[in-house]
Amino acid sequence: MIQRIKDIYEYRDMVFSLVKRELRGRYQKSVLGMLWTFLNPLCQIIVYTFVFSVIFENNMENYYIYLTVGMIPWTFFNEAVGQGAGSIVNNADMTKKIYFPREVLTIASVTSKFVNMLLSFVIVFLFIFISGIGVNPAALLWLIPVMIAEYLVALGFTLFFSAITVYLRDMEYIVGVLMMAWIWATPIMYTLDGRSEAVITLLKINPMTNIILAYHDILYYKVIPSIGALGIGLLVGFILLVIGEIVFIRLEGNFAEEL
Amino acid sequence: MKPENVIEVRDVRKHFKVYYDKGHMLRERVISFYRNKYERREVLKGISFDVKKSESVGLIGKNGCGKSTTLKLLTKILRPNGGTIETKGRVCSLIELGAGFHPDMSGRENIYINASIFGIKAKEVDRRLADIVRFSELEDYIDNPVRTYSSGMYMRLAFSVAINVDADILLIDEILAVGDSSFQTKCFNKLKSLKEAGTTIVIVSHSLGQIEKLCDRAIWIDKGEIRKEGPSRQICKEYLDNMETARLERAELEYRMQLEDEKKREEQRKEEEKRRNEEEKKAKAELSVRRQEEERKRREEEARHQEEAEREQRKREETKRRNASCREIATQCGPDARREGKGIVQFTEVKMLNEKGEECTKFCTGEDIFIKMKYISEQPGLKINFAIGITRSDWVFCYGTSCKYLLNGFLISQSKGEIVLKLKDIHLLKNTYYLDVRIQDEENEKYDNIFNIIEFKVLPVAKKDVGVLLIDTEWNVTK
Repeated sequence: MIQRIKDIYEYRDMVFSLVKRELRGRYQKSVLGMLWTFLNPLCQIIVYTFVFSVIFENNMENYYIYLTVGMIPWTFFNEAVGQGAGSIVNNADMTKKIYFPREVLTIASVTSKFVNMLLSFVIVFLFIFISGIGVNPAALLWLIPVMIAEYLVALGFTLFFSAITVYLRDMEYIVGVLMMAWIWATPIMYTLDGRSEAVITLLKINPMTNIILAYHDILYYKVIPSIGALGIGLLVGFILLVIGEIVFIRLEGNFAEEL
Repeated sequence: MKPENVIEVRDVRKHFKVYYDKGHMLRERVISFYRNKYERREVLKGISFDVKKSESVGLIGKNGCGKSTTLKLLTKILRPNGGTIETKGRVCSLIELGAGFHPDMSGRENIYINASIFGIKAKEVDRRLADIVRFSELEDYIDNPVRTYSSGMYMRLAFSVAINVDADILLIDEILAVGDSSFQTKCFNKLKSLKEAGTTIVIVSHSLGQIEKLCDRAIWIDKGEIRKEGPSRQICKEYLDNMETARLERAELEYRMQLEDEKKREEQRKEEEKRRNEEEKKAKAELSVRRQEEERKRREEEARHQEEAEREQRKREETKRRNASCREIATQCGPDARREGKGIVQFTEVKMLNEKGEECTKFCTGEDIFIKMKYISEQPGLKINFAIGITRSDWVFCYGTSCKYLLNGFLISQSKGEIVLKLKDIHLLKNTYYLDVRIQDEENEKYDNIFNIIEFKVLPVAKKDVGVLLIDTEWNVTK
């Protein structure tokens, strides 16, 4: 395991250049280019805001900020896991012909989505300033561990799914369905206030719940998130990563033959 | 692992499961979970070999014999089912060119991506960038997107990255056919210089010429096993001979099958004829006589074909026997010896002697070499010409001469004879050389040619002369 991590570290330049390739390649040909990074979540937020404040009335103050703060990190998670699941299969040619630690492909895929999220945070801060609710600089620092925790969770799941997808191509579609359900199991469009104890416990099994709650705490409620919950979030993220990697290692040996 | 080795392969086995109808879909997987039909195909049945540092080794063999699988095992893309593979140092594989190229990015950016996939740090690429661009000859286009490149330019760029990687072990799979012939030559020379600089090279190729020129050693893999290994020139020759025999056997088989078919058709026709003949017996009596005659002619022809095939077989056996006989002719015979020719005039003894008349295969620059050749001739009175050639161990042809020019004419063969050639104070420098000897007729047709019959060494002299040959030199200080 340690040898593997060293191996992957040796190939860190490959991660960088693949991330760069993905980001550059993705937007270079479209007319609006990099703007799509912002436009896509922006439109999503407008639609959801319309649905949840006009159709279903709710009396939350600045609901669109609440939504944005949760939606941007979720978009990262959704894209990372949803598209990362195919990261090995889609690079079959490379995998079959060249040796490199296979995790690199998955890591690069997740990382490029992560960079996308960082860029999208421009929207979050734009909204916050427009609405005039302001930020709490002390709390803002806590964004870093929250993001790290989310990255670990996303990478853990993606490693797991990308390795399985090699053997079972259905997995990509299954993941799609899973992600569709998952968004509703995470308090992004609703709050936990006033839910029953049982529902809250159920939702807290979802590793993304703690993470999204932490984002809300920092940017919407402007408070320092609960250190305990954050610690658990990081720990869970780490455990998921280890599990994902173990599964990946177990399945990796036959990649070249299965593809 | 022995210290001089950089690759050690021990009893490596590999099999693939070939599914009759493999399903990646969940439905198929569930339905056929316990009864997945597959065939176990043994690709490698236990092969072992070593590669020493800075050695270059060629893997040859028929399609599907397992040589590419071996290479993939060496790069760790595939894992063996049994046995061990150890490698020392950085392994770089030139199996896939242009991996990770993005069409919308410039040539320069793609160099970084491609190199990073080979595990090369960006810093190292910075250092090598000028070399890579120069080698690819794409200086004017390097900042254009790769999608604007022609396919030749694309491959040149890809190859330049791959070959400018600093690797201890370079694994190459059939990719030297890149670009135009001048670029191919360039790549080939680059590989040679890498080899001289101490890079270990393992190459898979069907171009035996390349293997002969580049590799010290060849490993012949046949049906998943090592059939033979040794000096590349010898192995390539044997492999070719074997392929030729196989081809001839196949041709013979096909011919025989054709014959059988014809016979069957003939019989059918005969039966038909018989029926018809019975009907029109009397009227067509004359015709049937003629038919029979034709039949007889055809049979004769068949017999002649058979005879020809037998003659061919005899000829092949003769060649085999003659190659083996090299050892009898020359006690100093090298491992590479190979013989051909009509054999009407034949060598019976070839010896290499020193100035004292002793048998010797080690000489110093400046000494004399005597080559004593005995021959027999089936037909005395033929015009014959003796020729010799000297080839260096890396297959540079160094020298050749024949007695036609020295004796102002041809020799007339006796039934038995002896001739001695004196090479006066040889100018060759330290290396290993091979001697070829030939007897030819007046049109340079081969009577008896023996290549590489004697392997001899020239030892280093005290003087600090380096290179191919000794040149008399004189230094004068003129100012």
